[in-house]
Amino acid sequence: MASPHTEHPGIGGAVPRFSWKSSLAVLTVLGLTGYSVAGTNFNIVELLRGTGAAERFVSEMFPPDLSVATLRAMGTGILETFQMSFLGALLGAAVAFPLSALGTQEIATVGASRGERLLLAVPYHLSRMLLNVFRSVPDILWALVFVVALGLGPFPGTLALAVHSAGVLGKLYSETLEAVPARPVQALTATGASDFQAFLFGRLPQAMNGFASLTLYQWECNIRSATILGFVGAGGIGQQILISMNLFDYPKVATLVGATIVVVLLVDRFSAAIRRRLAY
Amino acid sequence: MRGVLLEDVSVGFDGVAALSDVTLQVEAGEQLAVIGASGAGKSTLFRALTRSVALGSGRVIVGGHDLYSLSRRRLGELRRRIGTIYQAYNLVPQLSAGVNVSLGEVGGMGSLGTLRAFFAGPDAGLSKRVRAALEEIGLGDKAGVRTADLSGGQQQRVAVARLLVQRPDLILADEPFAAVDPVTTERVLETLLHLNREGAILLANLHDVEVARRFPRVVALREGRVVFDGPPELLTEDELAKIYAGDPHGLENGEDPEFPYARHGIEGSFRLTEGRDGVSSH
Repeated sequence: MASPHTEHPGIGGAVPRFSWKSSLAVLTVLGLTGYSVAGTNFNIVELLRGTGAAERFVSEMFPPDLSVATLRAMGTGILETFQMSFLGALLGAAVAFPLSALGTQEIATVGASRGERLLLAVPYHLSRMLLNVFRSVPDILWALVFVVALGLGPFPGTLALAVHSAGVLGKLYSETLEAVPARPVQALTATGASDFQAFLFGRLPQAMNGFASLTLYQWECNIRSATILGFVGAGGIGQQILISMNLFDYPKVATLVGATIVVVLLVDRFSAAIRRRLAY
Repeated sequence: MRGVLLEDVSVGFDGVAALSDVTLQVEAGEQLAVIGASGAGKSTLFRALTRSVALGSGRVIVGGHDLYSLSRRRLGELRRRIGTIYQAYNLVPQLSAGVNVSLGEVGGMGSLGTLRAFFAGPDAGLSKRVRAALEEIGLGDKAGVRTADLSGGQQQRVAVARLLVQRPDLILADEPFAAVDPVTTERVLETLLHLNREGAILLANLHDVEVARRFPRVVALREGRVVFDGPPELLTEDELAKIYAGDPHGLENGEDPEFPYARHGIEGSFRLTEGRDGVSSH
């Protein structure tokens, strides 16, 4: 029945029909897969052959080390991770907020002269650029930089989290500010409110819940990141995991990793519950 | 405020003309209703009066100032004397009703005053005028209520209270009654006319011809051009048929673009834009 050249082609199902474009896309994906498998020496057989070592590693983790000393180390590690992530998110938010405000395009420039537009564009692009730099460098690289500059410990880790959080939050904040319903804001500018006033009373109140939700989420991400930062010497539970690994103290590693998982899950739940309320 | 004058104003969006060579003079203290089918350019006309849309050609004179050649500062000063009220209320839903009303006077504040008003919270920032305005529209007890928690009619009254606080010299009412009940309509119209009696020019964009007939002067737009300008008595059935000819709502009922009014006219009112402008989108 299917005749491709009728005037009213059939509607078809959800799966796209044959077309040169989709075939090309499929071929591209297949090609890239082969290329990447070759480039990474990806080998299922080797993975299966290596199970012996993995088994040994896992079995040596049990029973986990629940001695008082280990538990105490776990407690300090977790607390430190928590403190790093919280402070990182807070500092990040504090830096992100003004930058995102500057990085929000105001539409109310109708009829503005070229010079005025240029003047408005300068802070916009500067803050966007700064935020992009903060964000596109991963926090673990920031941690390396700060560890080199300030030495080992949780302080450089906190700074690393703060800088990366500022970049991520700044971008998300300004996107929230721009996505806010425009009409109330325009209603304010149309009756003589300055850009600053329209921002303060029009955009900001509409974006506030979004900000809180995003910041909580970033804190969540920071907890996960903070466990890794220890691997480059930037404090937190990761540092203790690394040390125990190097000492082949696998039972202790088991305790620390288990505690990390529990904390991450708890924070996820907690933050998700709050964010659900904010969504209203 | 001295009058409003549009001279050969044309506005286009992506090559499609929304207004073509519109010339319109409104004297001080006048009341004017603007009617026309959806897409006729009514809202664009209003947006041109606050410089909220880029002008293709022509001039817009408001209160003796060439609107599109003002500096940003002077533009702000002029806009402060223009009050707006919309179909979709356009209040900030997260702020309390009282704060939304007080935004009527925010234009006159300096940066410091603005910050103080921002941080002082819903109650401390409420001046006597805000309270009085809320009393006047019968929402005196709602000052602290989140605007989003108010009904549509109440929100439109809050928007009117904002006008009362602002005391503008030019009121632009863009479909103010399209989304509110008849009682609120009367109440809002009454307040707008009251402000007009105190000297403000009142321009109202209306989809309801019956309400428009209560204005001493009616201007009709069709495809971006002024096709009628005169007292409502001259607004005959024939004129209305011409004004609304070709409206998609008319066409839906038949292929005769010449006579849509006869079909809708039975109820004596047009509800052309209902539900199309994102009303109650918050």
